[in-house]
Amino acid sequence: MPMKIQKTGSDTQLVVERIHHAKNYKLTLDCRLCVGCELCSLICPREAISVAKQPKKDGQKTQHPIIDVDEVKCHYCGICTAICPYGALHVTIDGNNIASVIEKESFPQLIREITVDATKCPTDCTECEEICPLDLIKVTSDPKTNKVTIEIKEEQCPTCRKCEIKCPEGLIRIRKIFTGKLTIRQEKCPTNCQDCLDVCPITDTLYLSEKDGKVYVNEIFCTYCGACKIVCPEEQALELSRSTIHHTPVRSGAWNKALEKLTSTTEMTKELRGKGRKKTMEAVKKRLEPRAK
Amino acid sequence: MVDEQPRVGVFVCHCGLNIAGVIDVKAVIEYARTLPDVVFTKDNRYTCADPGQDEIRKAIKEHRLNRVVVAACSPRMHEPTFRKTCAEADLNPFFFEMANIREFSSWCHPNTPKEATEKAKEIVRMAVAKARLLQPLKEIEVPVTNKALVIGGGIAGINSALDLAEMGFRVYLLEKTESIGGHMAQLDKTFPTLDCSICIEGPKMVDVGRHPNIDIISYADLVSVSGYVGNFKVKIRKNPRYVIHEDCTGCGECKEVCPIEYPNEWDMNMGVRKAISIPFEQAVPLVYTLNMDHCIECYKCIDACGARQAINFDQEPEEIELDVGAIIVATGFDIYLPYDDPLYGYGKYDNVITALEFERLILAAGPTGGKVIRASDGEKPHTVAFIQCVGSRNLKKFEYCSGFCCMYALKNAILLKEKYKRDVEVYVLYMDMRTPFKGYEEFYKRARDLGVTFIRGRASHIIEDPDKNNLVIRAEDMTLGQPIELPAEMVVLCTAAVPRSDAGEMARILNISRGTDGFFMESHPKLKPIDTPVDGVFVAGSCQAPKDIPYSVSQGSGAAARAATILSKKKWKIEPIVAEVNADLCKNTQAKCGICAQRCPYGSIEALEKQPAKVITAMCHGCGTCVAECPSDAITQNHFTDEQIFAQIASALEENPEGKILGFLCNWCCYAGADLAGTSRFEYPPLIRPVRVMCSGRVDKDFVLEAFRKGAGMVLIGACHLPYDCHYISGNARMKARMDVLAPMLEKLGLSPQRFKVEYVSAAEGLKFAELMKEMAAQLQELGPDKVKAENAKLKPILDRMLAKKTQKKPPQIIQKA
Repeated sequence: MPMKIQKTGSDTQLVVERIHHAKNYKLTLDCRLCVGCELCSLICPREAISVAKQPKKDGQKTQHPIIDVDEVKCHYCGICTAICPYGALHVTIDGNNIASVIEKESFPQLIREITVDATKCPTDCTECEEICPLDLIKVTSDPKTNKVTIEIKEEQCPTCRKCEIKCPEGLIRIRKIFTGKLTIRQEKCPTNCQDCLDVCPITDTLYLSEKDGKVYVNEIFCTYCGACKIVCPEEQALELSRSTIHHTPVRSGAWNKALEKLTSTTEMTKELRGKGRKKTMEAVKKRLEPRAK
Repeated sequence: MVDEQPRVGVFVCHCGLNIAGVIDVKAVIEYARTLPDVVFTKDNRYTCADPGQDEIRKAIKEHRLNRVVVAACSPRMHEPTFRKTCAEADLNPFFFEMANIREFSSWCHPNTPKEATEKAKEIVRMAVAKARLLQPLKEIEVPVTNKALVIGGGIAGINSALDLAEMGFRVYLLEKTESIGGHMAQLDKTFPTLDCSICIEGPKMVDVGRHPNIDIISYADLVSVSGYVGNFKVKIRKNPRYVIHEDCTGCGECKEVCPIEYPNEWDMNMGVRKAISIPFEQAVPLVYTLNMDHCIECYKCIDACGARQAINFDQEPEEIELDVGAIIVATGFDIYLPYDDPLYGYGKYDNVITALEFERLILAAGPTGGKVIRASDGEKPHTVAFIQCVGSRNLKKFEYCSGFCCMYALKNAILLKEKYKRDVEVYVLYMDMRTPFKGYEEFYKRARDLGVTFIRGRASHIIEDPDKNNLVIRAEDMTLGQPIELPAEMVVLCTAAVPRSDAGEMARILNISRGTDGFFMESHPKLKPIDTPVDGVFVAGSCQAPKDIPYSVSQGSGAAARAATILSKKKWKIEPIVAEVNADLCKNTQAKCGICAQRCPYGSIEALEKQPAKVITAMCHGCGTCVAECPSDAITQNHFTDEQIFAQIASALEENPEGKILGFLCNWCCYAGADLAGTSRFEYPPLIRPVRVMCSGRVDKDFVLEAFRKGAGMVLIGACHLPYDCHYISGNARMKARMDVLAPMLEKLGLSPQRFKVEYVSAAEGLKFAELMKEMAAQLQELGPDKVKAENAKLKPILDRMLAKKTQKKPPQIIQKA
């Protein structure tokens, strides 16, 4: 057989593969890490990824949406793996973790600016570990030297800043990947609906008000992933917009396109203009340099 | 010009025993002598041979013959020959008429010589009746465009293009894919010499690319072809490569930066290529192609291309129009992929591959670097079994033998043995090993000497061991006469070569026909193997039937030579059987008619307001549809006039009309199909009396009415298959529309519906024609002559009235001597 295209799924992962005689391509979606946000499906250039709401079961919490990958359409470029803030997607080529778009600089990598000064950590404090909604932090302290080490699985961290806020010593500094705005118009919310709250992967970002029983936003923790937007049953009740994405510098049409889809045309032009300005400045500087000498 | 009484000479051919073995030639001669205006008769052993032709020339001079009838084979075969003979004796070639008593009588009624002779007599009588009314015509000369179009850049097309270019003609080589080369460029080695395929084809491809007389138009589709021999107008759509042909240097820097890889069809999807790439290293033209289906538009390639600026994302499809004088079709074949045959497990078992996939595996430049490995585990197989005739020689799939599979299986077996020596066992399961050409049998011996095991038998089933993905072939060893189980670590299926998936579309655009196997049909299987029924269009290579490389190369060169016979002339003569409008009768001067202009498939009639319609002769293809459509009978078709056809009808139905089937058969499909029935010796009852028309569109309602008025038992209109087979685009559809109105009317008037038939028989359907004849004869017998006579008697007064205008008017008897 010349080429085999297959999809295999289990509770924990979804795998699509294209196997040639001498090369094989594999995309793995780790269902335990996936929160069912919209990011990958928004920017997949082949429109191979789809998100679907799960049917609501009576008396149960709303489940997060499910991602499905079309094995025929996927061409294993790795754009989805680059954008996933939760690190749920991986492309391997012949068993090696390769996202060819990143290798060829056709797509940027997200930047998670996380700095932890563990030297000043009190030995008995594990606040950050406890607060992390995704269980990504592991605090260990050496009882002999009293040295504390904090391990964070950075590639899976959506930078919600919960640990930063929680840290009693202020030793953690985090810059978010995405910035933006999440608004809920409570007057439009259906009564007793808290679907968004149910699916939000970051606890306390959305909370139920005791006053009116409606959901409110605490934007400080929001990662702007959009899982809430997908499950919201009312069209104008929940509005999400992203304004900036913190990423490595890149010159690529594919990124501009993705940026436009993730944020807005205005934000994209802003970034492009910024790039242009930087380029002009560099050019001017270059020209001025010999004169300065 | 002198008006004179017709003096007809009838020559009856024995054709060795082909005719004389069944038909009493002497009786036919005797009978012909009694026919009006016949002044000379003669029989020949072979009329088409030189002495036979001499007789004709001599008789024309000595007996002042001004009409010649030859009763022999099909006019599709020798009409041009005898027209030339007449011309050599200073007789206008259109004073010649042929009576087809071989394909239509002796060959299809071998067991009823008496009836066959009777039929032959009547066919001669019909020919004489038409001959008496023939008019001299002057051949029309058209200018010739000295350029050629070759469709398909495989090895056959490459050779055609190179030969024509070397002769000094301008050649456009149209290729659908990105590069020329065809299937040959996919192969590893070639039999029987084991040369590397691309090493011998590559230089030829480069020659084509660099030849000043050749324009390669690659990555483009044929849209339409109009015009006629010497003057074709071809429309081609160039698909966007998003790379500017002239600016691309083929450096490949864009490929380096492209992040996307997709399956490479050239590698049978066993390897991958970049979204901007060439299909293989030796591609000609060396221009990269950007596949927009896979491009993510990161524009990295634009950066890499830099100052060359060869990449243009805004490229659009472009339509170009070419003028050419001749067209060579060399579109090749597809390989059958047996997904639909559960027997072989192709697509289900990892280690079952086709032979073309095997070629890519064993090829050093292939996706595995020449390592023959299994898809399941990447290991080298220790036993490889080749299964022959997968799809071919199978009545349920493809009846024909694909020709080259035995040889390439031998080649691959030898390559495996030479590469891995004792490390690999090779089995070939075959039905018959066919090694008929130069050096092929020796090659077979070489395989046997190397220790390849040949097992005669057909595989009945393949099963897979799911753990190790090894296979077991169940087959019958016909030599041992018992079932065997053959374990193999890899199975290679030698699958059939099949017509290209777009062959139907191509046939429609070019107006050429396809055989029952789907390949393009040649004009004559033996004597015109490269020509098609369309003058100026030739076929070469595997688009006509599966062929190996040497055969394709020679046919490519042959087609070039055939095309050159046209291209080398300044003028080309075309048959003057065109339509003419009698301006006095045309009603377009009084009322807005223009039906002829609407119905002409070629738009060759102009009907301006208040003016009589006018035929643009050079554009007229001579189908005669307008003649039949004209409500005021103002149009005539030269050589197929109403008077001539009426005379043929009357003559055919002179005696015992109720026992006969009068057939109006179109020259290209049904008449050719009937010829094939004769050539194939399919026997059928001798009831049909054929009237040949160029197109079924020519069949006027009046012809049918006249036939029944004269008492015909049955009337058949034989046409090309709808919707696309018509040689004249839509003549058959016009005929159908016409007859769809006529049939219910006749039925209303009391005609049994089975007595009037419109049937569609292609040139390849000889068997269908014979079956049709049997069926119609049975129906006619069932009706019985009395019922037919009664129906006809009831119809006659009505038909008399309907045809009064035509039958009372005396056909013009003015005979001109050219």
